[in-house]
Amino acid sequence: MKELKYSEILKLNKEIGTNLKSNPYNITVLSNIIIHQIKEILEYPLRSEGINANVEIGDYDNIVQDSKKYQDSNIAIIFLELCNIIDGLQFKIELLNDDQLDEILEKTKSEIDLVLQNLEKTSLVLINKFTSLHFCSFNIRKNNLEELADQLNKYLENKISVNVRLVDLEKMITNVRGGNSLDLRYYYSSKALYTVAFFKAYAEYIRPFIMSANGKAKKALIFDCDNTLWKGILGEDGFDNIEMSSRTKDGAVFSEIQAMALALNKQGILIGLCSKNNPGDVDEVIETHPDMQLRDEHITINKSNWSDKVSNLKEIAQELNIGLDSLVFVDDSSFEVNLIREQLPEITVLQVPERLYEYPKMIRENIGLFYNLSFTAEDRKKIEMYKHQVKRETVKKEFTNIEGYLASLELKMTIHLDDESIIPRMSQMSQKTNQFNLTTKRYAEGDIKSFIEIDDSVVFAFSVSDKFGDSGVTGLCIINFDTINKTADIDTFLMSCRIIGRNIEYAFMDYIIDMIKEKKINVIKTKYIKTPKNEQVKEFYDKCSFSLTESCDSVRNYTLDINNYKSRQLNYIEVVNGKENGRANKECDVSSI
Amino acid sequence: MEKKMEERIKNVMSAVFEVSVDKINDNASPDTIESWDSLKHMNLIIALEEEFDVEISESETVELLSFKLISIILNDHGVV
Repeated sequence: MKELKYSEILKLNKEIGTNLKSNPYNITVLSNIIIHQIKEILEYPLRSEGINANVEIGDYDNIVQDSKKYQDSNIAIIFLELCNIIDGLQFKIELLNDDQLDEILEKTKSEIDLVLQNLEKTSLVLINKFTSLHFCSFNIRKNNLEELADQLNKYLENKISVNVRLVDLEKMITNVRGGNSLDLRYYYSSKALYTVAFFKAYAEYIRPFIMSANGKAKKALIFDCDNTLWKGILGEDGFDNIEMSSRTKDGAVFSEIQAMALALNKQGILIGLCSKNNPGDVDEVIETHPDMQLRDEHITINKSNWSDKVSNLKEIAQELNIGLDSLVFVDDSSFEVNLIREQLPEITVLQVPERLYEYPKMIRENIGLFYNLSFTAEDRKKIEMYKHQVKRETVKKEFTNIEGYLASLELKMTIHLDDESIIPRMSQMSQKTNQFNLTTKRYAEGDIKSFIEIDDSVVFAFSVSDKFGDSGVTGLCIINFDTINKTADIDTFLMSCRIIGRNIEYAFMDYIIDMIKEKKINVIKTKYIKTPKNEQVKEFYDKCSFSLTESCDSVRNYTLDINNYKSRQLNYIEVVNGKENGRANKECDVSSI
Repeated sequence: MEKKMEERIKNVMSAVFEVSVDKINDNASPDTIESWDSLKHMNLIIALEEEFDVEISESETVELLSFKLISIILNDHGVV
């Protein structure tokens, strides 16, 4: 809403209003200044959440009288503005003597008492704290206005009760963009003190009160792991190299994030993980990493596996027995963030900012999502209950139908054939890639160069780009040809984990099979060699319609009659030849094979 | 695709007074638009200032009493 113009808010608010069929949620605002612009600005964000908010503004400066009239509202908001307790108080007050000051103090206290008495039965009363900042922020010495504000605020603190909460205007003033919360022009002409910008900040600040009153406070905070709870990618950088302590600049940020999560957990918010990783790897970090603050006892649910996050988040909601709209999900990947926002719009998704130093601020700005009007010891018990309810084994699930989403990504795969210019990267991939790696053969740059130079072998690499950017060279396949027997053997097939989940591997396989067909090869042999890290690709070749010829504990052997290959023909992945993009490719003389 | 000034004014007025755009003609004024009271007038000024990035003076504020007058005054501010 911050970005919308005032006239746009007015228009959109009316449109949503006519479509909302639920019962009206009545909010009354009683004020001693003119604040009519707050109506639509308060209504719009609530209506966008499905709450049929209807704001009524009491008569000008009739707070006490109207408090009786509006006691049946769902929420009453009291805007008792300091400077208009008496017309022109902001300057008159400095000329008053002690008796007169006392009189104003007592008069205002009894007005507050009367208003709150009238609103005793109203389910929620929000009363603004007094602020003298508007007129006193340049004062060196404390003046009467500031003194009066302090005394009245002390009095208000005692009024907090089951249905009465205070709203800190000074925080709002800090949050207003550009610092312009006051409209002096309209204050002097019409007693309309505040700007539209201020009302936007106000609406945003009190939103958690209303969401909680409507049972819409968020209950669980779910984190991705890599570059979200720690710096680095566990599967690539390894247990020892991920950072989440103040020893490093980036690690310090993640340490703060984890501490904030812990604090929320103490208040009764459930913490969960949803990460694409080997389950064992993440468990190892949770249980033994010295810098990890979120431990087993804090994490209610842990979905670290290779399934897609849409399915995982659905399961999380199910297993915790809460609605999808009770979840907040944090991830660094634009791919995942946009996928979830599109497929599961009820979940509030927060993306780790590009500027890492803004990450803790981003979480703080959203802390209101979890605000609960009531905090009891019961909440702490609830967490224990949830933990017992949750199943901890990872479950393999089918991909949900996300083809529409994948299509919208404008995925493009560029194939590099025997490309000497990327030998260092290809060698690096063979050495670093552990998870999506069928045979885990490690090659030095010299080895890759040999493969390229030998006529009987071909080195395929690919790079991937989508509308979020270019992932760079992220896949490798090395094939050896037996020209006498007319067979091909896939020596290496691997892919970087950052592009998993987009079906790129199937598009790559289609391309490779086509190339092999052109060489008049009929039979392809290959194998899956098991390692502690590549369990997720155990059945990859089966999924590519290869036939399993024999298998033992550590090796699965496959063969493919090329005429039996079932291509996937993924029309949402564009495949281009590296050569066409101007990359210098060493000519591979295919006719000799 | 720049909207013409007239169209933008009508959109703002439509949003502020909660009437459909086609009800706003040259003579649209507090006499013809029921909801156009002094509070809505304040909203109108604020919305116009935001939409056209201008500052409307006090003397102009009291003159902005019809669609036609609004167009003239905005022209004076260099809006086309």
